[in-house]
Amino acid sequence: MTEPVDSRRISNGIRTLRFLHGEMTQAELGRRIGLTRQTVAAIEAEKYSPSLEAAFRIAEVFGKRVDEVFAWSEPE
Amino acid sequence: MLDTMTSIQDILEATCHRERVAWLSLVAMAAAYGPFFLGVALEPPSAPLPDLPSMGRFAGAVLVQVVVLGVGHAWFRLRWPHEARAPADERDRAIELRARRIAYHVLIVGIVLVGCVMPFSKHGWELIHTGIAAVVVAELVHYGLVVLGYRRG
Repeated sequence: MTEPVDSRRISNGIRTLRFLHGEMTQAELGRRIGLTRQTVAAIEAEKYSPSLEAAFRIAEVFGKRVDEVFAWSEPE
Repeated sequence: MLDTMTSIQDILEATCHRERVAWLSLVAMAAAYGPFFLGVALEPPSAPLPDLPSMGRFAGAVLVQVVVLGVGHAWFRLRWPHEARAPADERDRAIELRARRIAYHVLIVGIVLVGCVMPFSKHGWELIHTGIAAVVVAELVHYGLVVLGYRRG
């Protein structure tokens, strides 16, 4: 018998963290981690899950651990 | 008309360079091969190969595609120079890879049709046009999936 597919999503607090870091723009964050503004927007909107490397870079920019930026969210 | 141009401008402003290029490629292919295949359907080549007028029609389609792409790329580079020069990031590569993988299968189906199935019953321009159609459809699928990839996230 197969396990049910995990329906949880990865949520993130990038929008809040950008706000807390002087209203950092998506473009500025993208420039610092080597992603385009549109990719940062897609990550923020939880439409795209970043690679592990990009996730670490994002956390590093905000001086946080990865699990403080990204977390599982339960389905509604 | 002005409203339409303004909304197109707004949409282009909000999209990334690679999505713009995908839209441009779709427009170029529609502008080039739409009339080409319409012409082929309405007036199929009747002369034996090499049929210079039919070859000229294809050359015209390629020329239209090159001009549309050239003008579009030049405009993108002037309007958004930094974005045009920026390297692809991981999401760009993931979208491109997925689109290419699916388009490859479409192309293979077309190639098998032209190279292995049709030669038993068809010949000449029918094979050539089907071959061109296979490439065009595969490219439409490719760029269509790139656009879809960016739209979905």
